[in-house]
Amino acid sequence: MTQGQQTESTPLVDPACYAAATAAIRAEAVRLLEAGEVTAVVGYRAGRRAGSAMPEVATTAEAAAQLIFTPGCQNNLALFLSKAKREALPKGKVAVVVKGCDLRALAGLIGESQLKRDEVHVIGVACPGVYGAGADLAKPLAAESLARKCRECKVHLPEGTDVVAGTLPPLPDLAPLEAEELARLEAMTPQERWAFWTEQFARCIRCLACRQVCPFCFCTQCLCDRNRPQAVDTSPRPAGNTAWHIVRAMHLAGRCAGCAECERVCPMDIPLNLLNRKMAQELFELYGFETTMQPQEQGALTSYRDGDDQSFIK
Amino acid sequence: MTATATTTKHDFEPKLVAFVCTWCTYAGADLAGTSRMQYPSNVRVVKFPCTGRIDPVFILRAFQKGADGVLVSGCHPGDCHYMAGNFHARRRFAAFRQLLDFVGVDLKRLQFSWVSAAEGGKWVEVVTELTERVREMGPMREFIDLDASEHWSAELADAELKAAYHSL
Amino acid sequence: MAKTLSLDNLHRLVDALLQEGVRVVGPKRTGTLTVYAPLTRGEELELNELPRRSAKETFFPPCETILSFEKRDGRTTVSDPDLDRLPETVLIGVRPCDAAAPGILDAVFSWDYDDPFFLERRKRTTIIGIACTSSDDACFCTAVGLTPDARQGSDLFLVPVEGGGFAVEALDAKGSALKERHAALFTAGGNTVPLPLAEPKVEPLDLEKIRAWLDGNFEHPLWKEIADRCAGCGACAFLCPACHCFDIVDEGGEGSGCRRKHWDACGFGKFTMHASAHNPRDVQPQRYRNRIMHKFKYYRDKFGQTLCTGCGRCIRWCPVGIDIKAVLDEINKKS
Repeated sequence: MTQGQQTESTPLVDPACYAAATAAIRAEAVRLLEAGEVTAVVGYRAGRRAGSAMPEVATTAEAAAQLIFTPGCQNNLALFLSKAKREALPKGKVAVVVKGCDLRALAGLIGESQLKRDEVHVIGVACPGVYGAGADLAKPLAAESLARKCRECKVHLPEGTDVVAGTLPPLPDLAPLEAEELARLEAMTPQERWAFWTEQFARCIRCLACRQVCPFCFCTQCLCDRNRPQAVDTSPRPAGNTAWHIVRAMHLAGRCAGCAECERVCPMDIPLNLLNRKMAQELFELYGFETTMQPQEQGALTSYRDGDDQSFIK
Repeated sequence: MTATATTTKHDFEPKLVAFVCTWCTYAGADLAGTSRMQYPSNVRVVKFPCTGRIDPVFILRAFQKGADGVLVSGCHPGDCHYMAGNFHARRRFAAFRQLLDFVGVDLKRLQFSWVSAAEGGKWVEVVTELTERVREMGPMREFIDLDASEHWSAELADAELKAAYHSL
Repeated sequence: MAKTLSLDNLHRLVDALLQEGVRVVGPKRTGTLTVYAPLTRGEELELNELPRRSAKETFFPPCETILSFEKRDGRTTVSDPDLDRLPETVLIGVRPCDAAAPGILDAVFSWDYDDPFFLERRKRTTIIGIACTSSDDACFCTAVGLTPDARQGSDLFLVPVEGGGFAVEALDAKGSALKERHAALFTAGGNTVPLPLAEPKVEPLDLEKIRAWLDGNFEHPLWKEIADRCAGCGACAFLCPACHCFDIVDEGGEGSGCRRKHWDACGFGKFTMHASAHNPRDVQPQRYRNRIMHKFKYYRDKFGQTLCTGCGRCIRWCPVGIDIKAVLDEINKKS
């Protein structure tokens, strides 16, 4: 093993950096609520199980003093600012705690006119990474328990937020597992890919956790819930499942912020972020479009140029 | 154009669905008809106001309902009745193609084209070419097989179901 | 005299049952997860992990066709599945939290209407339970009246013993019949000292007190406090061994199609949506309240049982970290 590398199970970073972020979030949240600058702070609080965390809408200084930032803070809290979850927040300006990946989602929502930048006080967190799905939360964060998205994260440090909590410790270089998996799939024949996805989608039980945690799935009436006319079968069978996941990936193309929450929450371990990531990669190659931490006026599929590629059109 | 192609008997007649815009391609197909041009009767035309209205889910649904090939056709860039509908469609379908390819759908079954109201000949050409290509490929089994498969305990097929539902 | 079964013989038992044409369902590793799935040989049995989905799907599958219809020559024919052809099934390697659930569900599936799909499968299935020797901090069976070696719901019960293998106990006629049929695989005597059980370390709950509190607190700030974060998916309900709501849909085309019954969840916004677009459970906390009410009050009121076996799946897989045990602890404290 070369110097500077570490094994998959050694702790990734000094836990002190999470403690520092926690202290900074608490101080900012308490200040905001006491000064009446916001009506609520959407952050994380500890759960009953060791190492677990959950979203918390803090409306009092006491609650704000309980907010935390740990590797268990997996949720993308931008969800709470989407139309679908906004009902959980009080009226007025709110503050939200975001990691870099969550900030891209928040910027996307602002870009899609779901809220205005000045309606939200953004508390960014310098995030070394969070646990992946199914990780043992009681153990310190290590490469093996790190979320796959975090191994290749380019937004550890949020930009353009009102404040940044914590500082970033030096982070090890890790093998880009997701990029490798994507390349593996791309190298397959269409038949092999069909077999791969058929098997993955067959497992889907249509709990719709992927949809419900996605900040961009805010339609009041999801196309896939409609039955007159019915575009997608609602029963959890391979046919409807496949259609659902294709439609989902298509509707997120050019919007997905890459927070990979859909993949994390999938109780059936379907690697959903591969679809989103593939679409992001294609849209970058075709149109140079990337989701960023700053709101963009137009998305890849809501704009066009005269000279767009049409080599596939006869 | 001779009529011999249409009289040839084939073992497999593919089912094609064409999603077309009403202003250009539908008019172009109409022109082909009124000009007595022959083209394969395998194609079923579904008319939309604009290619911008053609949701990728329609293509998916067509395959699921047994289409062996799908054609999407509209106005040439710059000719859209609604100014930019086809420009948006162009991006959307460029992306959708990549997605379908990534899940393993053979893109040879999916054709996009610009056919203007004056291009009856091009319509014939596009439809004939897609028909012959799909005919050579044979029936689209993927989605049909998917529709017939059941999900149970993570297994794609289950003997219990097959036995119990044999009568269905 | 107590009988024992070695692990090898357990695998042989599966193989023997398969040879007889019995469908054997048990925990099986498929890809990254373990689920209850039809086995093709004994060695596929994976007993070290609680399957991701519960065993309820053996009786109440995620989706099943309840009739099919076909229109031909102006006439419509409707056919029902032939439930007499459902095969005899042995559900093997079932942890107590999963084994107890189907028996609890019998009450609702044979209440005002006998659901033939569920009940026929129940009739034809023998459950081989297994005492639990591994747990995690999401497990709480002991708080809802079960134990890691609860026999409830099992026909035959295996207790892992020191030195490998299992002590075997037949609990009813079905279990005895299976044991008799394969008597050669069971040996008399042997080590019957059980391995230490996986006792979850959790605060006890007083289910009757909780029921009483729920009775008087349909409107309470607690619901909003807990469930404002609920994202409204069905992960908890679909992984739950006891959740049993379903929806019925017609799928297919004009010429033919199927009527299917598939899992539904009270967490979905559409669950109570009326055709008029009025929704009596308009916001997420009301939906989550129903989940708790149904499990710990309504079902107790109606059938005298709790609709929760403490398997912890909903805790492990809640996307937003809602912890039903923490919720119950909170209510327990209040009552």
